Amino acid sequence: MSRFGTVPRRLVHLIIILFGITLVTFFLLRLIPGDPALAILGSSYTHERAVAIDSTLGLNQPIWSQYGLFMSRLFHGNLGFSFFYNESATTVIAQHIWPTVFLIVYSAVLAALISLPIGFRSGLRRGGYVDQSSRVFFTVSFAMPAFWLGIIFILIFSVNLHVFPLSGFGRGFFGHLYYLFLPALTIALGFSTVLVRSLRSATITTLQAEFIDTARMKGIRWSQVLWKHVFRNAVLAVVAVYGVNLAYLISGTVLVENVFSLPGLGTLLVNSVANRDYPVVQGVTLLFAVLIVSINLLTDIVQAALDPRVGQEIGA
Amino acid sequence: MMFRAPRYRTLGAGAAVLALAAFAAGCGGSSTSSSGSGSGGSGSASTSSTLVIANAVKVDTLDPEANSVNESIWMDQNLYSRLLQPNATGTGLLPDLASSWTISKDGLTYTFHLRPDAKFSNGTPVTAADVVYSIDRSRKFSGGWGFLLTPVKTITASGTHTVVITLSQPHAPLLADLAMYAYSVVPEKLVKSEGSKFFQHPVGSGPFMVTSYNADSEIDLARNPHFYGTKPKISKVKIMIVPNDNTRVLMLQSKKADIIENPPGNLVSQINKSPDLSVQLFPSTRVDFVQLDEHYKPFKSAKVRQALNYAINRKTIVQLAYQGHAVPGSSFMPYKMEFWNSSLQPYPYNPAKAKQLLAQAGYPHGFNTFLITVSGDVAGQAEAIVLKSELAAVGINVSIQSYELLTAYNKEDNGHSQMGERYWTNDIIDPDEVATFGADCKGGANAFNSYWCSTTANNLVDQARAELDSSKRAQMYNQVQQIVYQESPFIVIDYSPYRYGVGKWVHGFHVTPLGNYDLSLETLTVSTP
Repeated sequence: MSRFGTVPRRLVHLIIILFGITLVTFFLLRLIPGDPALAILGSSYTHERAVAIDSTLGLNQPIWSQYGLFMSRLFHGNLGFSFFYNESATTVIAQHIWPTVFLIVYSAVLAALISLPIGFRSGLRRGGYVDQSSRVFFTVSFAMPAFWLGIIFILIFSVNLHVFPLSGFGRGFFGHLYYLFLPALTIALGFSTVLVRSLRSATITTLQAEFIDTARMKGIRWSQVLWKHVFRNAVLAVVAVYGVNLAYLISGTVLVENVFSLPGLGTLLVNSVANRDYPVVQGVTLLFAVLIVSINLLTDIVQAALDPRVGQEIGA
Repeated sequence: MMFRAPRYRTLGAGAAVLALAAFAAGCGGSSTSSSGSGSGGSGSASTSSTLVIANAVKVDTLDPEANSVNESIWMDQNLYSRLLQPNATGTGLLPDLASSWTISKDGLTYTFHLRPDAKFSNGTPVTAADVVYSIDRSRKFSGGWGFLLTPVKTITASGTHTVVITLSQPHAPLLADLAMYAYSVVPEKLVKSEGSKFFQHPVGSGPFMVTSYNADSEIDLARNPHFYGTKPKISKVKIMIVPNDNTRVLMLQSKKADIIENPPGNLVSQINKSPDLSVQLFPSTRVDFVQLDEHYKPFKSAKVRQALNYAINRKTIVQLAYQGHAVPGSSFMPYKMEFWNSSLQPYPYNPAKAKQLLAQAGYPHGFNTFLITVSGDVAGQAEAIVLKSELAAVGINVSIQSYELLTAYNKEDNGHSQMGERYWTNDIIDPDEVATFGADCKGGANAFNSYWCSTTANNLVDQARAELDSSKRAQMYNQVQQIVYQESPFIVIDYSPYRYGVGKWVHGFHVTPLGNYDLSLETLTVSTP
């Protein structure tokens, strides 16, 4: 089997997982007390008005036929109609996806830019200046929750120094880069801790490997050994960590979106659960599931691409 | 509508307060809090033309028939006009699109004369046909506010500037109902041709119009050049959606917002410390109460319900939950509205009397019960803690159960709730709405879910609705309030105000008891901070 041999099987898994997700979110959502009519009517709730709303939204149908309708629409790429936004759920999600995706990619890039040099350096010079100070710095930043760190950044850079905006998404690509810098940095710092620590230990392990000695004995230049053998092998070990944590990032953006008032998917999801906007919750959950499964898949592919040995042990 | 969308407080709020405290400590300054407003127009040369308001909750829709979130309702008042509008104190009505109206002697025919100069923001005139279409449209919206207009038989246009409404029976709240947001006037032709897309870039006849609409982040308004009323002094209004409490406060402190909605109670004193900022409180129609479900045996007894009233100290609750900025409650009706019974006094704090009443009711040693609260509602949690400790003193053991907002409401609505925290806010200035929901067990809301029923109260609410003589109505509502006060199907706790953080460079911001601020946006000025 080639090193990419697991990909088709993973794609089949993806479909099964997504089907399970639709089932679970659909029925769990409906188990939560309080329905859309209550969300709309609040204190002016009366039975008659609730019945009228239920029939408009199709919630007076038996639950299985509601699920059937949801699934048949889903196969046509239609997530249904948002109760709260009075628009198709697909449109609502499309309006919110961009800030979240931009934020995740931006944070991931920032995290890589921060942690690769520091982690590698710390591994090469154990106990050195970079190693010691980065250990203290990242332990502290890791211990600070994102919403706290975000507020501190706002206080320092927006309120006092007026360098970065307080909230919002900005306009245009560079506008986004500017507006999302603080939120992305907030996420990236938390993310970097794990990366720096794993890269450091991977570097140390790799340095002790016999093939490094072999390479040096062959007379290859040290900088070449470092780049081609040590760095590449160490980074390989970190790719899996990177992938798993990236998946966590998706759910972690909720808090940061709140602090920086970003109109992203996390905010949308939380609001929609609170409003019992079933179609939107189902859509966002499904999308998150697709993203997480795809990232995991992508991690495997990247690992396989970087390391010829991946998939060989499984053999056949 | 009475429902206010839930707000999310992050766990970091406490930590952030520390940071803010450290930051604000450096600011110093004297602490002042005023509920009034500065003089309109400072006359200074440097005036800004844009007002920035930071709201906590996103906009649900710009369609007035479907609005359910308070913030959106308040904003929409700036875009649309109605036949009439509530005045600044929420105790009377002012002409809006209708410059005058006449009521037939039998109270069954209302004739409205529209002002001939009214135009929509696209320049087309507002006609009687638009008014008829808009009222009919909102009336037929399922789950909407059509139930208020049940006695309305026909709505017709007679010529381009006259609207005639006929009723099947006299209906005293009609004018107040028509002044409600749901009966805003939209251009018939455009709404019909564009459908729901219309409300992405709506055209109304209010003082402002939408220039850019992003429901979750920012809504930009500009002065409507065709507005027939007072021309606003500011040319633009920017409404930012900032759900995080601390971020909103930081926006005000860094002067990136001129007005912020609902600053968290624990930051009020920090805001007031800054010489440029103040937290302004506006009397509202909000009534905080605790419903007592009569399905639970002890609460069937009026003596027990009265005992609860004597056992709690409303002043302590007001102090703890609202830092003293609320008014202890007596009548179940909001205190800033017509026909509020001012002769009723809040039940005095008298635990001895409470114990005596409990003993008379057959509960000398009290009983066990539970209280449903909404998690994340800081004021509500404070209220619950006071209730628990004070009721324990008379032998009633209360366990507090906190749920997410809609879960809590659902549990309170289904008739097995025992005690539950709830609040009411008015949508119309007439008492009919609150009386129907709170005192009429046939009204559909089971008398605020207490399942208490009084034939006398029911009849009075019905009669008052059909009585056009306002002094007779006043008597009837006084009597309804008296009965509810005596019988106490729920414990009225307090009347709490709206809270806004306002920069002192904003002159003339005012919120009416219904929560509307559109009238003040027509006259307020902003000097450059």
